[in-house]
Amino acid sequence: MKKTILASAVLGAALFTISSCTKDPVPQPTTIEKTDSVKVNFSSTSTFTFFSFKNDAVVANTDSASTKWDFGLRFTTFILNSNTYGPGNAGAILQNSIYSTVTTAPDAGYAYDTTAAQKGIKDGSWYNYNPTTRSFSPKAGQTFIFRTADNNYVKMELLAVDYEAFTGPVPLRLIYRFRYTYQSNGTKNF
Amino acid sequence: MTTIIKYSSLLAISFFATVNCSMAQRTVKDTGFNKLATIDEVVVTATRTQKTIGNIPVPIQIISKKFIQQTGAQKLIDILQQQTGLVLADNPLGQALQGYPNPFGSGIQLQGLDPAYTLILLDGEPLTGRNAGILNLGRIAVGNIKQIEIVKGPATSLYGSDALAGVINIITEKPKANAAGLQLHQSINNTWGITLNSTITKKKTALQLFANRFSSSGYDLDKTIYGKTSDPYWNYSLAAKLSYDINNCTQWLSSVRYFTQKQFNNYLVYTGTQPEPVDGASNETDWSINNQLLHKVSKKINLAARVYITGYQNNAKVFLQNDKQLFDRSFLHQFLLKPEVQLELGEKLNEKFIAGAGYNYETIDANRYPSSHNFNAFYFFAQKEWLFNNRLNITAGARLDKHTLYSAQFNPKLAAAYKLYHNFTLSASVGTGFKAPDFRQQFLNFTNSLVGYTLLGANELANGLTQLKQQGQIDAATNITPYLGNNSLLPEKSVGTNIGLRYCLHNTTVITANAFRNDITNLIDRYNLPFSKVNNQAIYSYANINKVFTKGFDINVNQQLGKQFTVCSGYQYLLAKDKDIVEQIKSGKLVKRDPVTFVSSYVTMNEYGGLFNRSKHTANLQLAYNNIKNNFSASIRAVYRGRFGYSDLNGNAVLDDEREYVKGYTLINASVSKTFTKGFEIQTGSDNILNHRDINKLPNLYGRTYFINCNINLQQLFSYNKKQ
Repeated sequence: MKKTILASAVLGAALFTISSCTKDPVPQPTTIEKTDSVKVNFSSTSTFTFFSFKNDAVVANTDSASTKWDFGLRFTTFILNSNTYGPGNAGAILQNSIYSTVTTAPDAGYAYDTTAAQKGIKDGSWYNYNPTTRSFSPKAGQTFIFRTADNNYVKMELLAVDYEAFTGPVPLRLIYRFRYTYQSNGTKNF
Repeated sequence: MTTIIKYSSLLAISFFATVNCSMAQRTVKDTGFNKLATIDEVVVTATRTQKTIGNIPVPIQIISKKFIQQTGAQKLIDILQQQTGLVLADNPLGQALQGYPNPFGSGIQLQGLDPAYTLILLDGEPLTGRNAGILNLGRIAVGNIKQIEIVKGPATSLYGSDALAGVINIITEKPKANAAGLQLHQSINNTWGITLNSTITKKKTALQLFANRFSSSGYDLDKTIYGKTSDPYWNYSLAAKLSYDINNCTQWLSSVRYFTQKQFNNYLVYTGTQPEPVDGASNETDWSINNQLLHKVSKKINLAARVYITGYQNNAKVFLQNDKQLFDRSFLHQFLLKPEVQLELGEKLNEKFIAGAGYNYETIDANRYPSSHNFNAFYFFAQKEWLFNNRLNITAGARLDKHTLYSAQFNPKLAAAYKLYHNFTLSASVGTGFKAPDFRQQFLNFTNSLVGYTLLGANELANGLTQLKQQGQIDAATNITPYLGNNSLLPEKSVGTNIGLRYCLHNTTVITANAFRNDITNLIDRYNLPFSKVNNQAIYSYANINKVFTKGFDINVNQQLGKQFTVCSGYQYLLAKDKDIVEQIKSGKLVKRDPVTFVSSYVTMNEYGGLFNRSKHTANLQLAYNNIKNNFSASIRAVYRGRFGYSDLNGNAVLDDEREYVKGYTLINASVSKTFTKGFEIQTGSDNILNHRDINKLPNLYGRTYFINCNINLQQLFSYNKKQ
């Protein structure tokens, strides 16, 4: 296990070196503002859905050992691309403030997954569960501030968590709807 | 029935006052339909002694047998929710959803407090078998109810736990004169009822028998969903009461009660990928035996000794329709033994001293609790009344409860009534109340099969966590030690204040008004432990967390118009809020997120609608017509329930958005009745005439219904035939 991580870290670093050598022909905008949604497995044992803020896209599971993704989600569990789960440098802060009022990302205090049981984003901390409707409702007034796998900063707000239409006994997937602002140049100001 | 009833007829739950040697032939005006027509009506619940209503320093409402008969209602809940300030409300643990009623049931909300905070007594004794705080009021047949007394405000100083919002005491008929009656009831949804009543008296012995069978096919509001909204059921209620005058000063009273109900369940479950129907039934049984000995030692000293035993069983099983395999089983068994003695000193009505002591032995066993439990509790209470200048009545009382599970609870109450004029009384009272943590909050050990979270009762927390850790469901590195100690819950406590007035004009108009405030602390709520299971799902337990208040006022105006009409109207204004939420809003910390635009903003105090399930405005209006000459009567009754909070939509679990409310609505019920020959009465009526429906949010409301009742007074009928 350790070996694989190490190997992939080396590989990641190698890839990074290669890409930084190649000149990017199209300059990327420094700020990305998006509202997006991802489908996530409704199961605490199946695979995570990985997301990249930079590309505003879901990252294939085969790239789990790369820095291409920033956070992973399954059921109601977040993982971060650092330490236990990935080669990146991702971290997160769950802040009690309204999304639009967050103008800077803190300098320090980014939590990460120290072990599988001790996650940076604590499960159950960000939603209210209604046992009758079985709905997971993201708490209003909470903003996630991420340091991405490659040391950029993002503020994100979860807007809604819905069940994908299902027919069987157990729902298969949750649809997470969120918005975020991503700074590609390492600045902490939004 | 003559318009005069003997004082003695109210002995039903009496403790001693009217043993034969002191029987006062007092008369009480039976003013027919209305609830509080005079100040002479006799009640017992407010002070545990017989008292005329004009002398009671706490708010009390009476529902007479006449009112129950005029409504033609067969269900207690339908009678109660037509009273001012009594609102049918969902259990806050769940909510009605998509054509299914709240799985945790509904009950009566009093002074804005949830149903679990009102003590329900039957002939002065508590009923057991509350499920998640809700007592199924369908267990109480209405055919033998003599009077219902509703005391508002804390009554813990006399009755102990659960009486925070007040007490509803259902007083059944006592054996007196020979009588025999039969009632047949039929209504929509194949609903049938038959009631038999009989009293036999012989010298010093009187025996009363009561039997009722009630059944309904239920109904289905949404045919697109498998299974019925309300399941079919039948039930039987049997009751017998025996009174025997041992001598002039000593009386023996015995009563036995038995209720059994079977409800048929049919719904879809998943054992694999395809839905499969299950069939089964829930059996509910409730019984009690009460023996009382009433002895008048002297003019000034009365003694009562009683032993009350009651049991409740609820067993539910469902089987797969395919292979008849047991799919699910649940049960709740409860037992209570309660011996009690009570002493009453004093001669004059408003200068009595009472004191009592009792013991509770209680057992409980349920499928979601890992083991059965039993408890011991002792209690003592005392109350003294003083009368000054025939104008000022002061009542002071207190009760001490010592229970196995929590520290001793001392609850005092002080009340005063001042007769400003002979027909105008002011009253004020302040008292404390408590509610013991319920069994679920203490002993539950439940893991949700769909999501995988675990809910542990406070007393089960250490045990449950240790187990989860042993099973590897909690990571070995997680420190659970802080939760292995004593996690006992404290009882929820309240302080209640009531200030009221009662004004009587020409014995035809009665106006009562009462302002109330209840402050509740130590409210028990679910909280999230700071670590998760290895499946990353939360572990919840219970703790004393919240502080809430309810305040408001109610007004009743009851008028007799001529000899034939009675008009009663009532209104309640209510505010009920969580103090911590108020603080959060004040300090600008509570945020909402619009469910459509996803714009977040701070909640303002104006937007905060208080606790869910509470209507700021509720009102009722009743018009009764009684033509004695032509043996005809009619009544029309309207109940208005203002809008109330249903469910959070904007991500803060707080009621603060127009879309989170159920719209206000009015129910109108009417009935007419005609007595043909002596003792033969036909009554017909319709409930919810406006046909108000809300399949999603109010599935308990079927829509317009019709009924017909046929009442036969066998005693009168036979004596009438004899005369011919």
